[in-house]
Amino acid sequence: MSEAIITFKNVSKTYILYKNDQARFKALFFKPRNPKTNKALNDVSFEIYRGESVGIVGDNGAGKSTLLKMITGVAFPDEGEIIVNGKVAALLELTAGFSMEMTGRENIYLKGYILGLEDAYIKQIEERIIEFAELGDYIDQPVRTYSSGMKMRLGFAINVNIEPDVLVVDEALSVGDASFKRKCKDKIKEIISAGTTVLYVSHNAESVREICPRSIYLRKGTVIFDGNTDETLKVYQDYKAAQKNKKK
Amino acid sequence: MITSIFKEHKGFGKQIFLLAKNELIKTYKGAVIGPGWAVVKPAFTVFVYWFAFSVGIKTMKTMHVNLGSHDPFSIDFFTFMFIGIIPWFFIQDSIIQGAKTLRTNRQFITKVKFPVSTILTYTAISRLYVHIMLMVLMYAYVIFAIGPSWYNLQFFFYCPLMFMFFLALSWSTAPMSAFSKDFESLIVSIMSGIFWLSGIMYDSYSFQEPLKFIMLLNPINFFANGYRNCFLYHRPFFYYKTELAVFLAEFIFVFALGIFNYNRLRKKLPDVL
Repeated sequence: MSEAIITFKNVSKTYILYKNDQARFKALFFKPRNPKTNKALNDVSFEIYRGESVGIVGDNGAGKSTLLKMITGVAFPDEGEIIVNGKVAALLELTAGFSMEMTGRENIYLKGYILGLEDAYIKQIEERIIEFAELGDYIDQPVRTYSSGMKMRLGFAINVNIEPDVLVVDEALSVGDASFKRKCKDKIKEIISAGTTVLYVSHNAESVREICPRSIYLRKGTVIFDGNTDETLKVYQDYKAAQKNKKK
Repeated sequence: MITSIFKEHKGFGKQIFLLAKNELIKTYKGAVIGPGWAVVKPAFTVFVYWFAFSVGIKTMKTMHVNLGSHDPFSIDFFTFMFIGIIPWFFIQDSIIQGAKTLRTNRQFITKVKFPVSTILTYTAISRLYVHIMLMVLMYAYVIFAIGPSWYNLQFFFYCPLMFMFFLALSWSTAPMSAFSKDFESLIVSIMSGIFWLSGIMYDSYSFQEPLKFIMLLNPINFFANGYRNCFLYHRPFFYYKTELAVFLAEFIFVFALGIFNYNRLRKKLPDVL
């Protein structure tokens, strides 16, 4: 196998649930004593290799979002280590993270700088992004004047055109009208077939099976199964069926 | 660890200035006189204080400042107050806005990967623009009322120092306010008190020991007196060495505390905002 592009080493993350605002204020100065906690990730370890497509499945609250946030560098683990070697593009919250007063074009540069890209490179991909986002003359208008669909299109266009090393995709993503959705799906497929590492989060077993040969199943912050997608989905679905039976 | 703030700024310089510009647009867009509002509010405040003290209370027409030499330095109250209050406007905004700024820019913290400490820098720079604008107006008055002096150039010592000091202070206050709204409210509520405890409307040198020394502990006095050193007293920044030494010690302390607090809380910010 080639080198690991994402490495999780015994990663744990605990959210502290403060009883009230007073407790929160106190926590600024003292370590809270036996606070209520929510363990979002518990001793998670895995490696993802360059060019792999990995699905992440699990119920709501299993820790999928926390995991993705850590890969994209938004959240940080309490324990353990995360190594990500390369540019990460996230198709998660596309309308977030724009500077509203800046024009679309300026936001392309802002995003580029955050990702550590050079001026010359951003200039190169700028036109491609604008064309893909289908924004026309709006590209030089402040982003606050955009409709939510336009913001999403711009967010999507930036993320897929920076030639990421890792692409994080949430299946529940919505990017506006049908024709653009089609275009997005094609683009994602194109990126995947180009050999980019993809992390795919979904509730839909079929679409995971279609894209990812390997999957990781998370339950309550713990990796239950990591392997071949068919086997993973079987474990997941068996568990779900068992849950259903229990309820009955 | 210690260098994380500097690392976040590396290569981001151009973006910081662009974001600072946009911060200004955000503040003043949609108003007819736009950035004029940045002048109107301070101008009205200056007028009110002058009216209350010189016209209303009447006793405050001439200030006698004890500069340590033989005769006290005498100047009309308006000039004295005006020169001291200009840095105060910057300081007040820096402390209040500086504390709030991470909360108001939370989209850069919870949604995307962003060099978080640069948020504090670009908002501070946008306030600096406003300060420079007020300074231009104040300097026009100074030339007319007092006349220019080589000591005026010390502005380029005091102003960057003031910028850095309150930026470093926000490294502590901003993450703490993001964490707890009570901390933010605390800062906002003590600000008008801080104004009256600082030598803006009066001369902080005019006290007996030990109160005179206690006044030196307030860094706001250092800047109010510093601007007066430049434009009014015409004396070098190192003239009153105790004042300078106390300030520098505080600066190092605030700087170190800022780095400590920022590093301590940075990684928790996305979870609490």
